[in-house]
Amino acid sequence: MKTTLTALALLMAGSGLAHAEGELFLYNWGNYTSPDMIKKFEEKYGVKVTITDFDSNDTALAKVEAGASGFDLVVPSAGFVGIYAEKGLIEELDLSKLPNHKNIAPEWMNVEWDQGRKWSVPWQWGSTGMSVNVKDYTGDINTSSIFMDPPPELQGKINVIPEMGDVLALATMWAGGNVCSEDPEVMKKVRDALLAAKPKWMSMDYSTVEKMTNHDYSATVDWNGSSLRSRLANPDVAYGYPKEGYGLWMDNVVLLKDAKNTENAYLFLDFIMDPENAAMLSAFARYANGISGSEAFMPDDMKSTPELFPPAEFKDKGQFVTVCTGKALDYQKAIWTELQK
Amino acid sequence: MADRAKRSFAVTDLPGFSTIAILVFVALYAPILIMTLYSFNAGQSVASWEGWSLDWYRVAWGNEEVKKATLISLQVAAAAAVLSTALATLAALGTTRRRNFRGQTFIYVMINQPLMVPEIVTAVALLLVTAAIKKATGYSGLGYLIMAHTAFCIPFAYLPIRARLEGMDTTLETAAADLYASSWQTFRRVTLPLLMPGIFAGAMLAFVTSLDDVVITEFIKSPGQDTLPTYMLGQLRRAMKPDVNAISTMLLVFTLVILSAFFLLSRNRK
Repeated sequence: MKTTLTALALLMAGSGLAHAEGELFLYNWGNYTSPDMIKKFEEKYGVKVTITDFDSNDTALAKVEAGASGFDLVVPSAGFVGIYAEKGLIEELDLSKLPNHKNIAPEWMNVEWDQGRKWSVPWQWGSTGMSVNVKDYTGDINTSSIFMDPPPELQGKINVIPEMGDVLALATMWAGGNVCSEDPEVMKKVRDALLAAKPKWMSMDYSTVEKMTNHDYSATVDWNGSSLRSRLANPDVAYGYPKEGYGLWMDNVVLLKDAKNTENAYLFLDFIMDPENAAMLSAFARYANGISGSEAFMPDDMKSTPELFPPAEFKDKGQFVTVCTGKALDYQKAIWTELQK
Repeated sequence: MADRAKRSFAVTDLPGFSTIAILVFVALYAPILIMTLYSFNAGQSVASWEGWSLDWYRVAWGNEEVKKATLISLQVAAAAAVLSTALATLAALGTTRRRNFRGQTFIYVMINQPLMVPEIVTAVALLLVTAAIKKATGYSGLGYLIMAHTAFCIPFAYLPIRARLEGMDTTLETAAADLYASSWQTFRRVTLPLLMPGIFAGAMLAFVTSLDDVVITEFIKSPGQDTLPTYMLGQLRRAMKPDVNAISTMLLVFTLVILSAFFLLSRNRK
């Protein structure tokens, strides 16, 4: 018993306590941080980086809010940056310490949740649109009509991902509203169109990469990263950006107010805004990063891919998909429930 | 007459018994079997079969993050199993080897509280408390995880130990006392050796319970303290690859070994 207790005491003393010099604690989504890039950072600055995983924005926020989380940097999604700022959990960035801040692409500089990027720097972003097998359908694929009002060639061969927020965002934009619309007219149009379209769909499932690759269905509502993987396996797959509006998401790095390693955090933030390092992040996570000039450093199968880099004409058609609240959420849930029947 | 009527009411004789039993077992074990099967998949996909291979075991085995998480899981589970079993043994002795006392049922319910309170409630409560302690002391080691795991493992260790104590004949203890053994000697030489199978069984159940925990760990882990289950949960948002199946299968086999040992130990004592 005594030996056990001693062993236990040693165990507890060995892990934790004093933060050694040259450390940095990053709190991020799992399997999302390029180990090569971390190694490069560690070697360049002699700072040891510890990455801890979270599985949802809510868990991450709850832990940070409880205090003494021990993290320096967190990577919340777009809609959550404002919540962190409002609750006073994050630090306004000292831009003089971030010479690479100028590398943030113009379209990601004045985002709705952070005008001028004073609180957060880009990590990765992506979109929700249409994957279509162009052998089966030669018409315009840049429209949500693919699933909202399916053309005859595609009827009975369409999949819709069972993701309420993303699908209803596309449907609402298609019907002329904004994401999280509370307009009963718009939402009625959304409901009627979805219910009329559903008999023309084949399925509602998540396994879009396998089924687009194997040509089990001809079109699907899809995330751009999945669409890219389908196309790399089957060249007939193309990704469409609905011109009525498509969904966007972005994860961003924020600096916590109670960070213990603020200087190292600044080094890291500046480091990931260097195009070469941002490209390493993308090469690992397979999404775009919002840093100008990083494309040149990406792996060949990611350069000038239409899935990662929307064509100029569709650049301003994206809207951020956030979790709706109040009346908008009530509408969404009612429509979604009816759609599942 | 009444006796015969009672005997003829055997659940196994009811119509549809085997159908229902088979359906229940299929529902319970088919997903696990499918997951295990796909951990040997040669392809990139978790859901379409492309031939046999051990590649994903190699990938999982070569992953530094997995190794680190496994080590933390084992450390926490071992410490929590030892501590919770020690406490559970004391609690079991205190609630069985004495006259009934007022509030006994209440104490019993209190000890088994982690079995009844939803895990998320305990997790949120622990998050607030550990955050306050971290703020006050600056300590952020594995101690919090060990403490929390110990707390929710106690009932898992307590139940088999108590069952063993209740099943044990007290005449040996009475005889020891009759022969002028002090209460410590009685405990050390008679009660404890007889109790050992129960204690081992309790320790193993506690170990497995700690190893499998996700919710509480996710909420109170400090930086760099991902356990195997929280590491796997973190993978979910991105495309899952069969290495998660491989890790799950290894965890499953490990758990099965421990549970089989528990079964054998508890059978031997009868």
